[in-house]
Amino acid sequence: MFDIQELELNMGPQHPATHGVLRLVLKIDGERIISVDPHIGYLHRGTEKLFENQSYQANIPHTDRMDYVAAATNNQAYVGAVEKLLGIEVPERAMFIRIILAELQRIASHIVWLGTHALDLGALTPFFYGFREREMILDLFEEYCGARLTLNCMRIGGLPCDVPEGWLDRVREFVELFPEKLQDYHNLLTENRIWKLRTVDVGVISPEEAIDWGLTGPPLRGSGVQWDVRRALPYEVYDRLDFEIPIGNNGDTYDRYLVRMEEMRQSNRILEQCLKLIPEGDIIAKGVKIIKPKPAEVYFSVEAPKGELGFSIVSDGSDKPYRVKVRPPCFVNLQAIETLCKGHLIADVVAVIGTLDIVLGEIDR
Amino acid sequence: MKEKQSLGRWFRNLLLIDLFVGLYTSWKHMFRKKFTVQYPEERIDPTDRFRGIFKFLPDVCISCEMCAKACPIDIIYIEWHPEQTPEGKRKKVLDRFDIDVKRCMFCGLCEEACPTKPLAIYLTTKTYEGATYSRDEELYFDMEKLHTYTGLPDPPAEEKPAPKAPVPAPAGPDKALEKPAPGEISGSGEGGGGKE
Amino acid sequence: MNSILLGLVVIPLIKYLVVVAIVMTIVAWSTWAERKILGFMQARIGPNRAGPIGLLQPIADGIKLITKEDIIPSRSEKFLHLLGPILVFVPALMLFSVIPFGGESTIFGLLKEPVTLYVTDVNIGMILVLALSSLGIYGLILGGWASNNKYSLMGGLRSAAQMVSYEIPQGFAIVAVLILAGSLSLVRIVEAQAESGMWFIFPGFIAFFIFFVCAVAETNRTPFDLPEAESELVAGYHTEYSGMKFALFFMAEYANMVLVSSIGTVLFLGGWLPPFPSVTRGTMIDLPLFWFFAKVAVFLFLLIWFRATFPRYRFDQLMALGWKWLLPLAILNVIALAMLKLWVFA
Repeated sequence: MFDIQELELNMGPQHPATHGVLRLVLKIDGERIISVDPHIGYLHRGTEKLFENQSYQANIPHTDRMDYVAAATNNQAYVGAVEKLLGIEVPERAMFIRIILAELQRIASHIVWLGTHALDLGALTPFFYGFREREMILDLFEEYCGARLTLNCMRIGGLPCDVPEGWLDRVREFVELFPEKLQDYHNLLTENRIWKLRTVDVGVISPEEAIDWGLTGPPLRGSGVQWDVRRALPYEVYDRLDFEIPIGNNGDTYDRYLVRMEEMRQSNRILEQCLKLIPEGDIIAKGVKIIKPKPAEVYFSVEAPKGELGFSIVSDGSDKPYRVKVRPPCFVNLQAIETLCKGHLIADVVAVIGTLDIVLGEIDR
Repeated sequence: MKEKQSLGRWFRNLLLIDLFVGLYTSWKHMFRKKFTVQYPEERIDPTDRFRGIFKFLPDVCISCEMCAKACPIDIIYIEWHPEQTPEGKRKKVLDRFDIDVKRCMFCGLCEEACPTKPLAIYLTTKTYEGATYSRDEELYFDMEKLHTYTGLPDPPAEEKPAPKAPVPAPAGPDKALEKPAPGEISGSGEGGGGKE
Repeated sequence: MNSILLGLVVIPLIKYLVVVAIVMTIVAWSTWAERKILGFMQARIGPNRAGPIGLLQPIADGIKLITKEDIIPSRSEKFLHLLGPILVFVPALMLFSVIPFGGESTIFGLLKEPVTLYVTDVNIGMILVLALSSLGIYGLILGGWASNNKYSLMGGLRSAAQMVSYEIPQGFAIVAVLILAGSLSLVRIVEAQAESGMWFIFPGFIAFFIFFVCAVAETNRTPFDLPEAESELVAGYHTEYSGMKFALFFMAEYANMVLVSSIGTVLFLGGWLPPFPSVTRGTMIDLPLFWFFAKVAVFLFLLIWFRATFPRYRFDQLMALGWKWLLPLAILNVIALAMLKLWVFA
């Protein structure tokens, strides 16, 4: 008698909740989602092509701008890939400082995630509290390498410079101060019944499906799969550090939230250990001046805050790479958005986008 | 999967304890010190290594073009011509050293590549207020402007607490930034001064 | 004839104008208070540039909104577009004519003879309040419809559904107070609290809780602010409004907040009575006007505090909360209070 039509709704590239220029074409029936079709590419800047036109060292600032919220791990992935290509050993002190930078960056990136996710779901304050701590981290970065966001803080073979006077003490201050701030965020959200209502059983994905889609990072660990690149394929000195990988039970948004909160605490632990174990020594490998690797292909991945970030570099013997392919975690995680959103309401799409923690710079490159 | 809730948990649920804990957290913050800086009356001084807007020392530069090669976006334009000094040595005279600042990303690779001591081009000037009204005229720095740019807006008419002036010309950035350069070339070597 | 004219028309008119002036001032500065308090809770200072500690910010906002261009979507109904904000704002203002700000007083001796600090005392005041506050819902629906925008329409309908659903438990909470007070007139309710020696929040704390939650839902405040949530529907029913019409929606929201706080104060917190009214009535503490506004301020602070702290409910959870939890609780509360009044308080 009546024809039931699906409504096609466009959550456009300009929307306060889509964390960048993501366009989602939703097909909805009343308020239930039938399908979600992400349209990306609004931030494409041709990064992978740009990589081919410059020398290996000059590409490092370009990697900062992919996942602009977590630049240090981008640098670490790229630089690690080139080092693997060249076969050079990074001195120990440099590795420890790199890990300090990466873990500080992980905390900073998770703070941005927490702030924006909570803001989308209506809680205004965790954003401000989180950014207060993020300011401290960014000040530490500024002291070290001169920039707050696009760090350019690693070089092939090590680091550009040694830490300034007293930097490690300031990192220690931050490490001691952070757990009580983390408790503040927990007080506001973790046990809150409204938060639980919004996030429990929203965006559920089973472990098998998560592996099938290729999810990595907290979306994978929230479903119960114990896979963290720092443990599975250890790089730098992670095999010497003692930390746990938090995993969730149900694979819903609340579990991913808890996983990321716990990851922040574990990053704090790693920082503490690094500060104790850091040795004296060089900060850059000797003899790395002209970078002309032999023709080879290499893939190297790190655990970025968003998931497994990988670089696949093909070199042809010249001082510029022949092809650089980036495996961005958010791009792969975004594929699963339809599975996560099916059958939920429009308001849950906002929660799911928040929980996948997407940064369009990385998806579009 | 719902676990069986203990009686304490059920009671806490009934009495809305979780909501009150959240309320208490935001109440506490109301009385704490605020974390904001009243810009532009107060300014945070950037750290020593802050990569701000350039400073160029033409007397020190030896026209080796390492910075132009290192720049990822090729925005440094250098032209030099060789000249014979009266003693018969050849030296390079710098004609043009322009930087297209509007495309610069302040990555600092040019500063790292510069071999001279003190550095001929450096970014640690602690200036970050480079906003202008026109891109093409004011954001293309030629040699003169690179040498003399201080980066601060004009001081206001009435007395306001003056923000900290940028470090004019450091004798050389801190030791930790040094790295073994291919042969130490000091500023007043055979390169001599550029255009005076 | 003259005294009838004076007593029934002129004096209430003057009183009403005074009331409207006071209420509009409170509404304007409650926006300032909200931004400041929200800022303080978020580890930042709120507005502090417009005037000392930002006190002139509402005036700046007002000037901005008045001088803005009034954009009307091209294919909308112009008349309905204009009617929407009016229908939301006017009932809120109208209701201030029945709210008692005080009893008989000379306001610190400023007036020659004592005057009742309310515009009129209708003996079915409570019903009037419930009826007129429901009129505001029409304005929301019209606002959403007249915007010719499917997001706004959804926002408007949701807001209307939310407000209608939460009026019912609110009504039952009010019935609980009426059982305790025995009259529908707002002035009588306050006096009943004075006679019984305690504010009605004490016997009726569940009713107060239900009333408060419904008040938050009625005024579309967090955690029930889905209709105007920015990240979900880009401001819902007032997306397409700009300039003075938006200012009317904005002021209507705050006027509703003040209204619902005033009604809550009158019903539960003893209106203009000081604490422990049986003891302190007529003493030094019993200042006219002070206690009423202090209690309204506490209510407003609670509303702002909630906004700073809680995330928001999804729409179906909101409706479930209203119908499945608050309504049965409210009905049970009424039954319990009726039994209490019959057998305990006789």
